[in-house]
Amino acid sequence: MSTGKDTVVPSGTTGGPGASLPPVPPDRVPDATRDSTSKNYSEYGVAVLLLALGVWAITDAMSLTDLASSKGPVGAKTVPMLVGGLLVLMAILLAVDIARGGRGEQEGGEDVDLSHGSDWRTIGLLAGAFVANALLIERIGWPLSGAILFFGTTYALGSRHYVRNAIISLVMSVGSWYLFYAGLGIKLPVGLLKGIL
Amino acid sequence: MPIVVGYVPSPEGRAALGRAIEEARLRGRRLVVVNASRGDALVDRRHASAGEWESVQQQLSDSGVEFEVTQQIEARDPGDQVLDVAQQTNAELIVIGLRRRTPVGKLIMGSQAQTILLEADCPVLAVKAATS
Amino acid sequence: MDGINSLIEGFGTALTPINLLYAFLGVLLGTAIGVLPGIGPAMTIALLLPLTYTLEPTQAFIMFAGIYYGGMYGGSTTSILLNTPGESASVITAIEGNLMAKKGRAAAALATAAIGSFIAGTIGTLGLALLAPVIVKLAVQMGAPDYFAVMVLAFIAVTTVLGSSKVRGLASLGIGLLIGLVGIDPTSGQQRLTLGIPELADGIDVVVVAVGLFAVGEALWVAAHLRRSPLEIVKFDGASMNRKDWSRSWKPWLRGTAIGFPFGAVPAGGAEIPTFLSYAMEKKLTKHPEEFGKGAIEGVAGPEATNNASAAGGLVPLLTLGIPTTATAAIMLGAFQSYGIQPGPRLLDTQPELVWGLIASLFIGNTILLALNLPLAGVWAKLLRIPRPYLYAGILFFASIGAYAANNSTFDLWLLIIIGALGFFMRRYGLPVVPAIIAIILGPVAEEQMRRALQISNGELSGLYNTAFSQVVYVVIALLLVVPPVVRAVRKRRGGDSDNGPHGLVVDDQPLHAHANQEGL
Repeated sequence: MSTGKDTVVPSGTTGGPGASLPPVPPDRVPDATRDSTSKNYSEYGVAVLLLALGVWAITDAMSLTDLASSKGPVGAKTVPMLVGGLLVLMAILLAVDIARGGRGEQEGGEDVDLSHGSDWRTIGLLAGAFVANALLIERIGWPLSGAILFFGTTYALGSRHYVRNAIISLVMSVGSWYLFYAGLGIKLPVGLLKGIL
Repeated sequence: MPIVVGYVPSPEGRAALGRAIEEARLRGRRLVVVNASRGDALVDRRHASAGEWESVQQQLSDSGVEFEVTQQIEARDPGDQVLDVAQQTNAELIVIGLRRRTPVGKLIMGSQAQTILLEADCPVLAVKAATS
Repeated sequence: MDGINSLIEGFGTALTPINLLYAFLGVLLGTAIGVLPGIGPAMTIALLLPLTYTLEPTQAFIMFAGIYYGGMYGGSTTSILLNTPGESASVITAIEGNLMAKKGRAAAALATAAIGSFIAGTIGTLGLALLAPVIVKLAVQMGAPDYFAVMVLAFIAVTTVLGSSKVRGLASLGIGLLIGLVGIDPTSGQQRLTLGIPELADGIDVVVVAVGLFAVGEALWVAAHLRRSPLEIVKFDGASMNRKDWSRSWKPWLRGTAIGFPFGAVPAGGAEIPTFLSYAMEKKLTKHPEEFGKGAIEGVAGPEATNNASAAGGLVPLLTLGIPTTATAAIMLGAFQSYGIQPGPRLLDTQPELVWGLIASLFIGNTILLALNLPLAGVWAKLLRIPRPYLYAGILFFASIGAYAANNSTFDLWLLIIIGALGFFMRRYGLPVVPAIIAIILGPVAEEQMRRALQISNGELSGLYNTAFSQVVYVVIALLLVVPPVVRAVRKRRGGDSDNGPHGLVVDDQPLHAHANQEGL
């Protein structure tokens, strides 16, 4: 879990004469698959989700009616039933696997450092920027809501060059609005800047 | 009252280090070498690689001055990080490397040297790379 | 030779100035994005899907073809210089390539990767051009049950061969099939899983799904675990090889091509296994075994050629059968569908200009790639300095535009958040993303084929397996499901080495954490 601070890598404090801290090694392949037991419960959450989706598919399938013209055992219900059944079965098998100590292997990547937990503050800020755009795009238009999205994202990811980021954000959103309008013929909402653009 | 030098693996950075060693010897002070980067890009020119960092320390050992080195990666501007080290160690002098920048480049990317020059509490010695 | 004549006509299509421009743009964009940390070809094509709203299909696919090859190559540049394989296919390249670079042989490593990719890509594309008409001739005889069987094979192969956990692979498949179900049942006209929301009646737009899973999900995942320490990039100047490098490289290039192409063409997914096979083979055949593990050029040349040949091979089932074998191919299939084109055996007859133009532009793109990459390797490396906040802000920004523009509605933006969150949690809990995307795009087609087969057989279930071809396919599926566990059990009883699944590949005690689900980064 993150402490919610921006400084993630501890800085090297000054040591004695000639001493130095080695640069932080790039933990490309950390072994984060066998975590403490506290994460067990969240693993079960995946099984619960699969179960819920499976039950949803099955109950929804029940409400479908077969056409009189359909022949044989396969009708409108069949495929949703099968998919729902697959999901329920996988929910059970996954729960068994977790109970036996199986863990989902977190996905690595060239820019991913799994040695620290998920940074929920960053995720929250990113989601906020995203939601702000969804709420505002039709009211104030893409040139402004897109800029808010871009600026909010750079802020969430730790960039603190407000002036630079604001300029880049506006250039991106106004530029993309023009690109879509002129280049692709798609008119994104113009909103408050109507008449200016 | 040490001398703090902001080291960047570039001609300016090396010039600053060379001058800082001279100053340290001249004044009989301890030298604190800071290599600070933001660590927000996959590849950062400011960050000295292990090999470069080692050769810096070799150069320092050979010079015979008393020294400390610190390499830090923080989500802050490197200029602020150098200033912090200077403040903590109550530095007598900060030595930095300087390079020519376009006004637009400075506006967009900011200038770490400018931050240090304007905000340091102690004198700052700015060194340019040898023009050869 | 059918293929050759059509191919020449295809060059006529591809060589018009505007199409050349799109090929060039595609290669440029693909390479740049392949180099950028955390963005792979699948995400790139997903982010560019909005272009399909207005661009001509031929032009869009010429561009996608450039991205497809360019992205593959861009990944190898970072593997060699930084030892950070972006795609699972470049994991092997990273081993010997980075060691070579550290020995001061970065130029030779980059050159053998670039030239090997060019040769493999060209031979592979030639293979595609020659093989496609042949397969189409066979495929036109395939009936609905045969298609359904092949699609089941694709589902099973992608979930069991790739990834470490079959349960999680199948769970991901189930989630994908479920998403594919949303909308109106094509046979009975009833709404399925729409929750009464009118926007869902048409189904979830492929752009929203692809962008959500691959761009938003990935960006959120990486943002939550951002690496904060800079990596050490190896210094290098340009890309070039000497005579000795050439003589040591050309055989691995050809062998790699021979391994990669067939693996790409079968629906067992991706370039991960063939690149490993190529590496093992070169290690065995080399005259310089002492260099392996210390930076042997054969260990870069072979796997890199394999990687590109399998990319070419992957286009064979996509264009002739409409079956994607990788995430990138699945998203390209989605792009076809958004044009109302269903790839399959009739595609070559109905859209000859599109298909042959696409194949011809693959040759052209490959040549542009070589011309760009040998001199520009240094420029690409500079892209690695872009601060991450801008990179990921850009991804989320373009993801949002694409999703909104799909239907000009904010509903798709909310859906994008939900699917993005799903993508995040799938990555967190080890559910591979590739089976899900293939299921979303292929699921509805498979259902249609199944129902057609059953209609023909008057509802008898035997209608699903009453052809010789479908029976063979089901036997293959059974083998796929039964053999690996049995082999593992036998090996365990013998007390042999560790389980050598695609996940536990061990090369000289260096564990290769090749994540199958990483293919579509």
